[in-house]
Amino acid sequence: MLSSLLPRIRRLTARSLLAVALAPIGAVLAAQTTPHGTERHIHGIVEDDATGRPLANATITVQAAPRSRQTTPLMFSTRSDDKGRFDFRDLPAEVVRLRVRVLGFTPHEERVDLIDADRLITVHLTVATTVLQEVAVRADTLAERLGRVAATSTLDAAALSATRGQTLGETIKNLPGVAVIQFGPSIAKPVIRGLNSQRVLVMNAGLRQEDQQWGTEHAPNIDSFEASSVTVVRGAATVLYGADALGGVVRVDHAPVPDSGGTHGDIALNTFSNSRQGALSMSAQGADLVLPGLGTTGYRVRVTSRVAGNGGAPDYYLSNTGFRELNGSVALGVTRSWGTADVLLSRFGTELGVLKQAHVGNADDLQRAMTTPPTDSSFTYGIDRPSQQVSHTTLRTRFTFAAPKASELEVVYGLQYNHRREFDNHGPLRFRNEAAFNLKLFSNSLDLRWTHARWRGLKGTIGTSGLAQGNQTLGKAFLIPGYDLWQGAVYAQEDLALGRLSLNAGLRGDAISQTTIAFADQGIRSAAGTRTWRDFSGSFGAAYLLADGLDIALRVARAWRPPTVNERYAQGVHHGTAQYELGNAALNAERSQGVEATLRYTRPSFNLEAATYRNTIAGFMYLQPGEPVQTIRGAFPGFRYSQTDARLRGVELSGNWSPHTRLQLRLNGSAVRGLDRVNGGPLFDMPADRVSLTTRVQGRRPSVGAWFVGAGTQMVRQQDGVPEGTVYTLPTAGYALMQLEAGSTGARVLGQRLDVSLSVNNALDTRFRDYLSRYRLFVNDAGRDVVFRVTMPF
Amino acid sequence: MIERMSRGMSRGVVLAGASALVLAVSACGDSATAPGGESEVISRVTLTLTPSAGGAALSSFIDDSDGNGPTAPGAQVGALALARGVTYTGTVKFENRLVTPAEDITAEVQKEANEHRVFYTVTNAGVTITTTDVDGQNRPLGVRFSKVVTPTASGLGTVRVLLCHYGNVAKVGTATSCTGDTDISLTFNFTIAP
Repeated sequence: MLSSLLPRIRRLTARSLLAVALAPIGAVLAAQTTPHGTERHIHGIVEDDATGRPLANATITVQAAPRSRQTTPLMFSTRSDDKGRFDFRDLPAEVVRLRVRVLGFTPHEERVDLIDADRLITVHLTVATTVLQEVAVRADTLAERLGRVAATSTLDAAALSATRGQTLGETIKNLPGVAVIQFGPSIAKPVIRGLNSQRVLVMNAGLRQEDQQWGTEHAPNIDSFEASSVTVVRGAATVLYGADALGGVVRVDHAPVPDSGGTHGDIALNTFSNSRQGALSMSAQGADLVLPGLGTTGYRVRVTSRVAGNGGAPDYYLSNTGFRELNGSVALGVTRSWGTADVLLSRFGTELGVLKQAHVGNADDLQRAMTTPPTDSSFTYGIDRPSQQVSHTTLRTRFTFAAPKASELEVVYGLQYNHRREFDNHGPLRFRNEAAFNLKLFSNSLDLRWTHARWRGLKGTIGTSGLAQGNQTLGKAFLIPGYDLWQGAVYAQEDLALGRLSLNAGLRGDAISQTTIAFADQGIRSAAGTRTWRDFSGSFGAAYLLADGLDIALRVARAWRPPTVNERYAQGVHHGTAQYELGNAALNAERSQGVEATLRYTRPSFNLEAATYRNTIAGFMYLQPGEPVQTIRGAFPGFRYSQTDARLRGVELSGNWSPHTRLQLRLNGSAVRGLDRVNGGPLFDMPADRVSLTTRVQGRRPSVGAWFVGAGTQMVRQQDGVPEGTVYTLPTAGYALMQLEAGSTGARVLGQRLDVSLSVNNALDTRFRDYLSRYRLFVNDAGRDVVFRVTMPF
Repeated sequence: MIERMSRGMSRGVVLAGASALVLAVSACGDSATAPGGESEVISRVTLTLTPSAGGAALSSFIDDSDGNGPTAPGAQVGALALARGVTYTGTVKFENRLVTPAEDITAEVQKEANEHRVFYTVTNAGVTITTTDVDGQNRPLGVRFSKVVTPTASGLGTVRVLLCHYGNVAKVGTATSCTGDTDISLTFNFTIAP
């Protein structure tokens, strides 16, 4: 059913887009060719001069000379939209006065000559020095400029508060182009346009998250309550972020440390019925701390705790899938006339269980596990073996130095320590408490970014980035050898605004060196050696405003990625699939060429974004099935890291429509096709096609706040694109899930503000297995989950 | 303003210098195995058959020279030439010969008998194997067994030795095949002397 629906949706969209695109073009052309009279047109965009960020809700007024007989001047007024754009029509063909005002910025005034032609104007506003910018969301302004030419989606603080899931991956999995590889409720790895792990970079608080992300069962070690916004950049973002961002970036941003105001904070409580999870997070922040030597300092402290037991499928529990988390962070910051300085210290700690059935011996054990129906009918919060224990500690210091003409130097130093231990039930009892895998990863990174003053319309950033990393392998069993990694890069990104056209170009050169340390024990041999790679990556994008609210962006990007240590040196059984995986030390870097187009249409009550892309990756590294491996334990399907040429193509569609102020309809759809060009088969781990539709009724009442009630469905088509030779080649059946939600923001209970939401995921308790669930060989995915979230700011 | 900026800048330079130092020092890769690693691996399995009525013992072993590595186990060393009508008392021995001195893992298996069981599967109709030892809860263990060759048995056969480890599931005494994790799965050939 869905497969016939999708082409119809595509055709419908294309036709209506075409109609929508042609009409305004016609209107604009007509306006421009009208001779003098009263039909001049001013069209423009309002931006923050320092960051290039568009300013929404700016008040723009145009004043023209009074007509004959009138004594008052003609006044036209409008507000800029959320992309900073504004539009004036029917202006007299004379010299008019344009004024732009936004809270927090110095008002701007200029004369605009409309006698001969319409005008396209970009207005740059500078921050008013007398106003304290509490809402200065610095975030990562480089990527915001990238967002004009690339497809990005953002979940802001309100959206996060209402939809935060059990893990970071679950929180973003409903964004267009995003899927997750899941190992039960506790592990969810983001997949962007079909690519994951070492091809998707996760940024946390402005630092590359170095938490052994090459492992598919290594979830991002991030406290999702720390995020004040999460942005997903789809497509190669390697110029700004480095080689890992070949597939995309998941950027978790923290709110800046306050620079004014007394103590305030929030308490958030989330509960999930499926795994009986309780999550509590408390934070306090303010700027009334006076430290010796530093003066007035802003601070933020946060503590989060999560406790979850076994997840449940509709008929049975998923044994040993509980998890616990205890995280904390402290941040201090000062804002002075020369700039800002801040330091962040955070720790993330988790212990999580791995599904017992998923830890198998040899291929016969796997076959038996796949065919034995699960019968576990007991719930417990206890975590037994097999299990993982991970801790991630981050120290980040950041300085920004303001320089004349709104230029800025930013220096960020980060130190990360990731300790991962995995425990299983193999081996003699007296050594059972020692970890099978014990990996310690130390990463130092230093980033310098110089954002220069606007010069001839060009605004941009030149930066340099360095990473020094060392890994220690200490467990009972071999996974990867110890290694040292050094990376250095230089990059530049520039934007040029030419009225309706925005251009963005970037170039980056990287040098990466890996030195592995010899390992010889228990029959496993891993050689020592050093390898170095040097290459450049670049991207060029253009966004053109076709008409009011309609713009099209086109981007080409070249990216590359060297093989990771596990792709080169892995040796051993991957317990969840009984696969014997062998690395290949001779792998070369992979290189990708991508082209993408994004069409965006925004109206007050309707917006639509359609994106399509084509990415060819030469030397794509993947696990190729080969001869079975025999060891004393029996036979295992053998897989070896190899290279092929791959091509990924896909489309994403997302739209929002409010036919009535109280009603909101939302549509989201993604499809990806990955092809191995050498053998003609599909790539592994491609998400199935999916569409989600939600309806929401909303309103506002004095003590209830902004309330909403909604229902939605997510439909996933069967995934029959499964490569040959993998363990389980049967297509995963399609499924449809229903979700319900209700909540309100800004309710007042006993004088205290509360944001509350209640959602029911998989409301009908549907039995299903998603293709990207690694437990799909053994058990169904999670059943009904009633989620209650309440946030109380104080 | 320039003085303020330069003060901030000089602080920045000091910090950058300190960071460069930390950068140089902290990259420290290493690999070593933790204690307990030695007893994980079984690299040789030996079958010893002693006729219960007396006589020379038959012994045969299979080596996996790289333990958990990808090279396949070697060929069987030592022939098991069984005689008709004889009942043999058998034992299986598990060793780790990748360390010096070689480690006897059989003792570990016997000590943790509640978590282990050895299954024997024979492909010749004239030969049967019954395990003779039990664990602490009277469930079969299988390190010792009895192999009966009927008077009319002939030809060739194989016996598959499977060491089953019950780490995640309960060991059931009446099971006829492994329901836990397989730690060893090797096949030995034998012949029946005419």
